[in-house]
Amino acid sequence: MASLSEEVLLVLKKVRQRKQDGTLYLMAERIAWGPEGKDRFSVSHLYADIRCQKISPDGKSKIQLQLVLHTGDSTTFHFSNDSTALKDRDAAKELLQQLLPKFKKKANKELEEKNRMLQEDPVLFQLYKDLVVSQVISTDEFWANRLGDTNNSDSSLSNNKQEVGISGAFLADIRPQTDGCNGLRYNLTPDIIESIFRTYPAVNQKYNENVPHELTEKEFWTRFFQSHYFHRDRINTGTQDIFSECGKQDEIGLKSMVVQGVKNPLVDLLSLEDKTLDEGYGVCTTMPSTSNRTVKDSSNSAIIKRFNHHSAMVLAAGSGKGETAGDPASETSCTDGNSRDSDFFQPPVKKVKLQEAIEYEDLKKEKKPKTIALNLKKSDRYAHGPVPLQSQHYSTSQDIINSLNYIRHEMVNYKPNLTQVLCSTTASSAIAALSPGGVLMQAATQQAINQMVPTDVQGELKHLYAAAGELLRHFWSCFPVTKMKSNLERFQVSKLCPFQEKVQRQYLSANLTGHLEQMLQTAYSKFHVWQTRRMLRKT
Amino acid sequence: MKMLNIDGLLVYFPYDYIYPEQYSYMLELKRTLDAKGHGVLEMPSGTGKTISLLSLIVAYQKAFPLEVTKLIYCSRTVPEIEKVVEELRKLMEYYSKQTGESNNFLALALSSRKNLCIHPEVSALRFGKEVDGKCHTLTASYIRAQRHSDSSVPVCGFYEDFDAVGRQVPLPAGIYNLDDLKDFGKRKGWCPYYLARYSLLHANIVVYSYHYLLDPKIADLVSKELSKNSVVVFDEAHNIDNVCIDSMSVNISRRTLDRCQANVDTLQNTIQNIKETDANKLNMEYRRLVEGLKEANVARETDVYLANPVLPDEILRAEHFVRFLKRFLEYLKSRLRVHHVVQESTPQFLKDIFDKVCIDRKPLRFCAERLQSLLRTLEIADIADFSAITLISNFATLVSTYSQGFTIIIEPFEDRTPTIANPVLHFSCMDPSIAIKPVFQRFQSVIITSGTLSPLDIYPKILDFRPVTMASFTMTLARTCLCPLIVGRGNDQVALSSKFETREDFAVIRNYGNLLLEMSAVVPDGIVAFFTSYVYMENIVASWYEQGILENIQRNKLIFIETPDAAETSMALEKYQEACENGRGAILLSVARGKVSEGIDFVHHFGRAVIMFGVPYVYTQSRILKARLEYLRDQFQVKENDFLTFDAMRHAAQCVGRVIRGKTDYGLMIFADKRYARADKRGKLPRWIQEHITDGSLNLTVDEAVQLSKHFLRQMAQPFRQEDQLGLSLLTLEQLESEEMLRKISQIAHQS
Repeated sequence: MASLSEEVLLVLKKVRQRKQDGTLYLMAERIAWGPEGKDRFSVSHLYADIRCQKISPDGKSKIQLQLVLHTGDSTTFHFSNDSTALKDRDAAKELLQQLLPKFKKKANKELEEKNRMLQEDPVLFQLYKDLVVSQVISTDEFWANRLGDTNNSDSSLSNNKQEVGISGAFLADIRPQTDGCNGLRYNLTPDIIESIFRTYPAVNQKYNENVPHELTEKEFWTRFFQSHYFHRDRINTGTQDIFSECGKQDEIGLKSMVVQGVKNPLVDLLSLEDKTLDEGYGVCTTMPSTSNRTVKDSSNSAIIKRFNHHSAMVLAAGSGKGETAGDPASETSCTDGNSRDSDFFQPPVKKVKLQEAIEYEDLKKEKKPKTIALNLKKSDRYAHGPVPLQSQHYSTSQDIINSLNYIRHEMVNYKPNLTQVLCSTTASSAIAALSPGGVLMQAATQQAINQMVPTDVQGELKHLYAAAGELLRHFWSCFPVTKMKSNLERFQVSKLCPFQEKVQRQYLSANLTGHLEQMLQTAYSKFHVWQTRRMLRKT
Repeated sequence: MKMLNIDGLLVYFPYDYIYPEQYSYMLELKRTLDAKGHGVLEMPSGTGKTISLLSLIVAYQKAFPLEVTKLIYCSRTVPEIEKVVEELRKLMEYYSKQTGESNNFLALALSSRKNLCIHPEVSALRFGKEVDGKCHTLTASYIRAQRHSDSSVPVCGFYEDFDAVGRQVPLPAGIYNLDDLKDFGKRKGWCPYYLARYSLLHANIVVYSYHYLLDPKIADLVSKELSKNSVVVFDEAHNIDNVCIDSMSVNISRRTLDRCQANVDTLQNTIQNIKETDANKLNMEYRRLVEGLKEANVARETDVYLANPVLPDEILRAEHFVRFLKRFLEYLKSRLRVHHVVQESTPQFLKDIFDKVCIDRKPLRFCAERLQSLLRTLEIADIADFSAITLISNFATLVSTYSQGFTIIIEPFEDRTPTIANPVLHFSCMDPSIAIKPVFQRFQSVIITSGTLSPLDIYPKILDFRPVTMASFTMTLARTCLCPLIVGRGNDQVALSSKFETREDFAVIRNYGNLLLEMSAVVPDGIVAFFTSYVYMENIVASWYEQGILENIQRNKLIFIETPDAAETSMALEKYQEACENGRGAILLSVARGKVSEGIDFVHHFGRAVIMFGVPYVYTQSRILKARLEYLRDQFQVKENDFLTFDAMRHAAQCVGRVIRGKTDYGLMIFADKRYARADKRGKLPRWIQEHITDGSLNLTVDEAVQLSKHFLRQMAQPFRQEDQLGLSLLTLEQLESEEMLRKISQIAHQS
C-alpha cells in the first residue's frame, strides 16, 4: 500500500469499477479503489480534485456512485453487494458529502491565496512569469517554497475574510421540477442549505436534533418541503410535523423583535400620534375583527408576516450577528471600563435624527467635509499613547539665526591667505581629477554606463537578477540536491544566454552579466566540489 | 444671509442662501398677517416651509409685539412637533448671534402626558390612556386632600412640588423641546406636563398638535385662555377636515352600552354609600353647582372663555342625574335593537327621545359637564374605567348642541358580515367647519399650509371661512429632480386600473407585479409602493406570491410590507431603512391613508421611487360617507365626484410627495392607473408635481416607463453641486435684491 500511515475512514467491499470487483477505501484525504486480490490502488483521487459526486436514482437496478473531477474526467463505482449495496452507497455518499466541501474550500482558498499574493506583489508576479511560465521550475516547486513561510504570517489575514451575505431570493432558487411521475424534485446545494440555516436558525436546530438519529438527511429535506412551514400560505391542517414548532419559534422571534421596538424615533409609528382618539370617538373605521376573518384572509396576512420576517432574517444574517454595525445606540452599550467616555461624546439617536431631518445642506454656504465623531473607548490611552523615545535635539529658530549670523560674520571677515596657495598646474590637475571622468570621480563613470543602457534592457536585467537570486537562494537553502543544479543550468541556457547575446549584439563592450555568471559559477563549483567529494567517499 | 427685507419687515434668516420660493412665501405670509386675516398657502415639501414661517412670524412678533402676541403652531405628529422646535432653536440661536442680545422669547412644545411624564412608575406605562389614568389617580384634587389627613396615600411628588412653587416664577425664556422640558422638570423636581400647560399662557411660541385646538374636549382644558391676538398655523393641513370630523364623531356599540350599564351601577352604589355615610358631601356639591351657575354667567359676559354651562334642574341633584343617565341608556339600548339600517337627523333623534322617554334637549346638553362634576365629587380615581359613560355623556351633549351638520346612522350589522349582529350607532359629523369655527372666530390670523393643498379653493369651502390670501408656490429647480410618470398600460396593452370592475382581474394584477419587478431591477436603494387599501394590498400580495412574482423581486431587493399592527410595521420600516442603508436595497409595500403614508418621510436613498398602484378612492359604499357627500352637496355646493376625486388625489399626492424632501433629493413618481391621465384627476395634483408631467408621459406602458426611469436615474446620478443651483433655485442676498430676480419671484406664487 502506498502510505500505510493514512487513516482509513471507510472500507466497502464488492465495489465494481470497470467491471472489475474490488474494494473502495475512503481515507482522510483521498478516495481509492483497488481490484480484488491486489494490494495496490488502480484508482486514487484526492478529495480536493473531486468536483462533485452523483448517485443513481433510487429506482434504478444498478446502484452507482459517480465522481466527477475538476479535470472533467469521471469515475463510476458500482455497488454490487446484493444485500447491502444501497446502504454501502449511502454510507459512502454521506461521508463524501461531509468531506468534499472541506477540501473544496481548502483548494479554493489556496488558489485564492496564491492569486492574491501574485496580484499584490508585482515582484513575485514577475518572478512567477520568469520561472514558472518559462518552465524553468514547476508551479508546485515555486509555491512549495513560497507558501510555507507565508501561511504563518498571513493566517490572520485570511481568517477575517469578509462574510458573504445571503441572497434575498435563495428560496426562489429552489425550483421544484416535476420528475414525470407525479412527484416533485428539489435540488439543494450546500450554499442553499447554509442560507436556510442562517436565515432560519430554528430549522438548523431541528436538523441538528433529528439528523441523522431520527431521519436521514433526505427525509429531513423532504419533510421540510412538504411542511406548511415552507408553504406558509397553506394553513396548518393539524398534521403533526416537526416544523410546526419552527413556525412558532419564528413567531416568537418576530414578536420579540417587535417588542424590542425601534431605535429611530422618527419611524416609530406607535409614538407618532400625539393624542389618539379614545375608543368610540372618530369616524368609524372598524377593521374587520379577527374572529370573523375568513381562512383566505388569514392566509394572506400570514404571507405578509412571512415576508417581513424573511427579509428581516436575511438582513440580520447578512450583517453578522443581527447587530447593525455603525449604529450608535448599540455601540454605546460596550462593557469595558471606560465606556462612559464614548457615551458622553455621542448625542442620543433622537437628537441626531432630528438634526438630520431639519438640515438643508444646500442652504448653507460651505460644505465642510463631514467629520466622523471620534469614538474613544479609553480616552487616557489616546492622551498618553505610546511615544517614540528619542533623544530629542531640536534646534530652535533662535539657534538657526545665531549660526546664520555667525557664518555671515565669518564670511565678512574672510581673508584669503594668498601666500599659501597651490601652483596653477597642480590646481588645474586637481580640478581635472574632480571633474566627471576624473580619477576621484570614478563612481560617477560607472553610473554613466548604467545610463548608457536603455531602460528596457535595464528592466530585463533586473528581472534576471531577481530570478537568479531566487533560484540561488533556493539552491543554497537546500544545497545538496541535484535537481537544483539542473534548474540553474536551465536558467542559464534559456534566460541568461539569450540576454547575453542580445546585449553583445548591441553593446559589445558592456559586460552586464558578468556578476550573474560569477554567482552561478560559484554555485556550480561548490556543487562540483560536493559531488566530487561524494564520489570520492563512495569509491 | 444677514437680513431680508420682506415688504418693509426686517427678517433674520438663519441660512446663507435662500430659495426663491421661500422669499415669495414670506411675502404672502406677511400680507396675510398685515390684513389680520386667514390664509391658505401651498408650498412643496422640502423647500423649507417651516423655517420660512418661523422666521417671518418671529420677526413680526418682534416688530409688532402688541399686534401679534403669540404664535400657535399646530402640527400633526410628535416628530413633526419636535422638528419645528429644533428649527426654531436654530433661528433663535441665529438671532442672538446676529444681534448680540440674549434671547428673550419663550417657546415650548406641548404633548400628552405619555411624552412628558417623568414620574418613574407612571412614565413606564406604554399607552397614553394608561399614563393619563395613572397620573389622574396621583394628582386629582381630592386625592391630594386625602393626603393631608392620611400620609400613606400616594401622590406624585413632581406635581406637588410644581403646585407648591412652580407657578410663582415663570419658566425662564428659552426654547423648550419635549426633552428639554423633561430635563428642566427633573432638575427642578417639577412636573413637566403641568409646567408646560401652565406656561402656555405666557409663552411667545407654542408648538403642539391639532387636537389641543380642534378637539373640543381637550381644547376646553388646554387652550381656553390663549390670547386672541395669536397667529395660528396649521402645518401639514391637507387632512385638517378629517381631524375636525373625527374629533366630533362618536360611535356607540352594544359593548359600549354594556360597559356603560356597569358604570351607571357603580355610580348608583357609590352615591348610595355616600348618602348613608356622608350626605353632606353631596349637598356641598349641589350648593357649589348652584353657585357655579352664577359665576358662569359672569364669566360668559366677559367673553374671554368659551361657554360655561348652566345646568338645568333635572340633573342638578346627583341621584337625579344618575336616574336620568339610566333612562338615556335604556333608550339607546332600545334603539340598537334594530334589524334594518336607520338614518336620521339630530332633530329627529331629539324628538324621538322626547316622545319615548321624555328627555328634554336642555338636560342632555349639560350631560358631559355634570358627569365630570359628579365623578369629582364621588372621588372616582380611575376615570379610564368610566370612559364608556363619558362617551355617552359626550354624545348626549353633542347631539343636543348641534342641530345641523350631523347625522345618526344605526347599522344592525357590518356590511361584510350580514349574518352577525353587531349593531352600532354612528353619530357622525359631516361638517368639518363646526370644530374649526371657534378657531377662525377667535384668532386674528389662521394659516393653513401644507405641501399638498390642491385644489386650493376647496379648503375655504369645506371649512367655511374667507381667506385673504390663497397661493400655491412652485418649486424652482436647477435640475428636474422629480419625474412623474403615468403608467396606463401593461406591456400587453392591458389597461391598468384599480377600479372596482377590474380589481380582481388577473391581467391587471400581473401587470402591476411586472411593473414593480422591472422597477426593482432599475431603481437603486429604496422603492415605496402604495396600494389603495389594505384589503387590496393583501389580495395582490397573495396573488403575486402564487405567481412567483415576489420571488423574482426578491432577487433584486428585500420586501417589507405594512401590516395593520403599528409595532410590526415600525419594525419593518426600520429594517427597510437598514436595508437601504447597507446597499442591499428594499421595497416597502404600503397603504395610502395608512400611517406610513401620513407620517414617514423617505428622504434620499430611502425612497428613489414611489409607485402608486391605483387611485386611492375612499370606500364609497359607506353610509357615513354618502351622508357626508350629500351634506357637502347641499350645504357647500361641492359635487360628490369632485370631492371624492379631490380626496383621492390629495392622498395620492401625499404618497408620492413622500419621496421628494428637498432640492438635492430626487425620485421617480409613478402613477400606475390610466385614470390619472384624465384632466380632472391630473388637474387636482399640486402644481409643483403637475408641471412636470409631460404630454408624452401620460399613458406609458411598463417598458416605456422603465426606459424613461433609466434615463432619469442616470441623469440624477451625476454629481450635483451647489454652484449648479446658485442663481436659479438658490439665491444669495445680492441676487435676491436684483430687479430681475424679484420679477421672477413674483411669478412663483400662483394666486387662485
